[in-house]
Amino acid sequence: MSKVDMAVIKPEMMKSYIWLQTADGSIQQVEQEVAMFCPMICHEVIQKGMGSSKNYAISLPQRVNPAMLSLILDYCRFHQVPGRSNKERKSFDEKFIRMDTKRLCELTSAADSLQLKPLVDLTSRALARIIEGKSPEEIREIFHLPDDLTEEEKLEPLKNTTDDPRIRLLNRLYAKKRKELKERQKLKNIEVEEERVDDRSVDDLLSFINGDNGVLIDGFTDEIALLLERIVKFSSVVFASHVSFSTSMPKYLLFPCSHLGEVREFCFADSKGIKNSKSKKKNRRRKDQQKNTSANEAIKNHNKEPNGLNQVCHSAEVGQKVRAGVGATSNLHDVKDDIFDNKNELDDGDIDDEIDPALKEKIDREVEDFARRLNSDWPERMQEILSFGHERKPVHFSLNGNGSLRRYANSEQR
Amino acid sequence: MRTDITNILPEECISYILSLTSPTDVCRSKLVSPVFRSAADSDTIWGKFLPSDCYDIISNASSSSSSKLLTSSMSKTQLYFHLCKNPIIIDNGTMSFGLDKATGKKCYMLGARRLSIAWANTPRYWRWKRVPESRFSEVAELKEVWWLDVKGTIETKILSPNTTYVAYLVYKFSSSRYGFEKKPVDLHVELGESDAGRTFRIFLDPSANIPQFSREREDGWMEVKLGEFFNEHGDDGKATCSLREVDNYTLKKGLIIEGIDIRPKDSR
Repeated sequence: MSKVDMAVIKPEMMKSYIWLQTADGSIQQVEQEVAMFCPMICHEVIQKGMGSSKNYAISLPQRVNPAMLSLILDYCRFHQVPGRSNKERKSFDEKFIRMDTKRLCELTSAADSLQLKPLVDLTSRALARIIEGKSPEEIREIFHLPDDLTEEEKLEPLKNTTDDPRIRLLNRLYAKKRKELKERQKLKNIEVEEERVDDRSVDDLLSFINGDNGVLIDGFTDEIALLLERIVKFSSVVFASHVSFSTSMPKYLLFPCSHLGEVREFCFADSKGIKNSKSKKKNRRRKDQQKNTSANEAIKNHNKEPNGLNQVCHSAEVGQKVRAGVGATSNLHDVKDDIFDNKNELDDGDIDDEIDPALKEKIDREVEDFARRLNSDWPERMQEILSFGHERKPVHFSLNGNGSLRRYANSEQR
Repeated sequence: MRTDITNILPEECISYILSLTSPTDVCRSKLVSPVFRSAADSDTIWGKFLPSDCYDIISNASSSSSSKLLTSSMSKTQLYFHLCKNPIIIDNGTMSFGLDKATGKKCYMLGARRLSIAWANTPRYWRWKRVPESRFSEVAELKEVWWLDVKGTIETKILSPNTTYVAYLVYKFSSSRYGFEKKPVDLHVELGESDAGRTFRIFLDPSANIPQFSREREDGWMEVKLGEFFNEHGDDGKATCSLREVDNYTLKKGLIIEGIDIRPKDSR
């Protein structure tokens, strides 16, 4: 309480008592200088003129019961005396907080509601010392907490909290899609010979990516995004990253940049530029499936933002070498780490209901493999992909039985 | 009857209490109960664990696009975890900056371009190249040399105070490696002007029965400990870390250096 505040107080209030009422209805009077040590009480007295008589007793917050009030007043009574040395105060504090944990918690709560920061600090530090270094089990013991986290919640990786709710929703949608794709893939007619070499390689890559062999790569940094943008710009081959929703829209791929918390849409068009109509179609599909409006917004936003990109991504000079951005390669090694961290996002309670474990494992293995390959032979692969339309025979990426990525010289595809 | 603490203490109070512990404790507390879990995700906690000059460092980072996005679009919690996993490149691409997850202390890697490598600019002896698995744009590859002298320095004032730091050389061998199994190298770290430092001598590429001091890192590179030093207030000047083999009799080849990694002791 500052000197200014004291000056405002009317003379007849000096050396008098403040009336306080706790939530249980009991009223008591407290020496003024002691009670005014609490900012909340001080505010009530000065701003609202309360507390001067029994009828106008200040109602204390519910978290302050009479026992806690008594403790708090003891604290205030000691510390409001100006003449004490730091050593004395420290010594008092150390003795003061010797109480059982439950009372310490109640005291923290009460002090917090009265805005008595020094006491909140004191008790919070004491509780922090109690928590430090203990296992979750021990902490539950101390605070008498029930063990009510689900098994899944316990297994969820603790480190990664870059959880954008939109990405999580997209992941869930993706999971649903994968199931559907699995059915579709069986019916899909695989055409080996096609006129446009470019298209075929695109389609093959895409169906590999979009099919039940879907890959999940998360945590792309902005630099990777830029690199991919450039690749997409100069070639007709799409590069998939992250979540792919494109079932009937094989030419669309979505990927979130986790730290941006948004999803970028990359499309590749064949020269007819069908993309626009497909984009609308996709929106409609999205809207049908989603009951959740926030997801709608998310997709809409994403369609708005990268329209500039869409224009750029025309199948242009195939085979033109892409000079990888200098900064772009710097974070590739992160991809693998991020995959393993975010893989477990699939362990979300909702998703687990919809994917059968065998498929999930398969996907996990594929992700691992994809990541490994991505990290190791990126430059070579890019060269290969880029020269698809050129001299070489198209190379098909498929998965063999044990989930490892394999290139087939012929055009057989699983 | 046992009462639940979470009925007594509001979540903000729990967050405040957690902010007075350590990052490891906070992560662990997420396994305690749903309320603790939610309290542990608070920005007030992770904002406290971020180094005080964190935003300054980020704003000086090389790659403007992603770094600006880091500061503007991420919450403090997200930023903390992002920096633990994804070091950012600063100082014109010569250094990387990240955080040690368990403590929130600063970690730096000096890129090969920032090191003083004898003969590095003579193409006959060293070559600079780009590799995708490096966080930096270039790494140094030893073609052949007799005089191997690699040195890196870091100002202690940019490090976290009251911390013991360990310096590691981050490297790989190429298929043409030679000489490192024949002759040991000298690893040395010293602090400031007056410290003599300590030197260890080990084989970088030991043969069968000889102890291996290097280990593999998570990013696929190898690392070998050069030494350690204690940074108290950051006013000890520079810490110097080096690897040398200068007897001049043994030809050495095939060492690829990414940089020198400097991080708190006992961190991953």
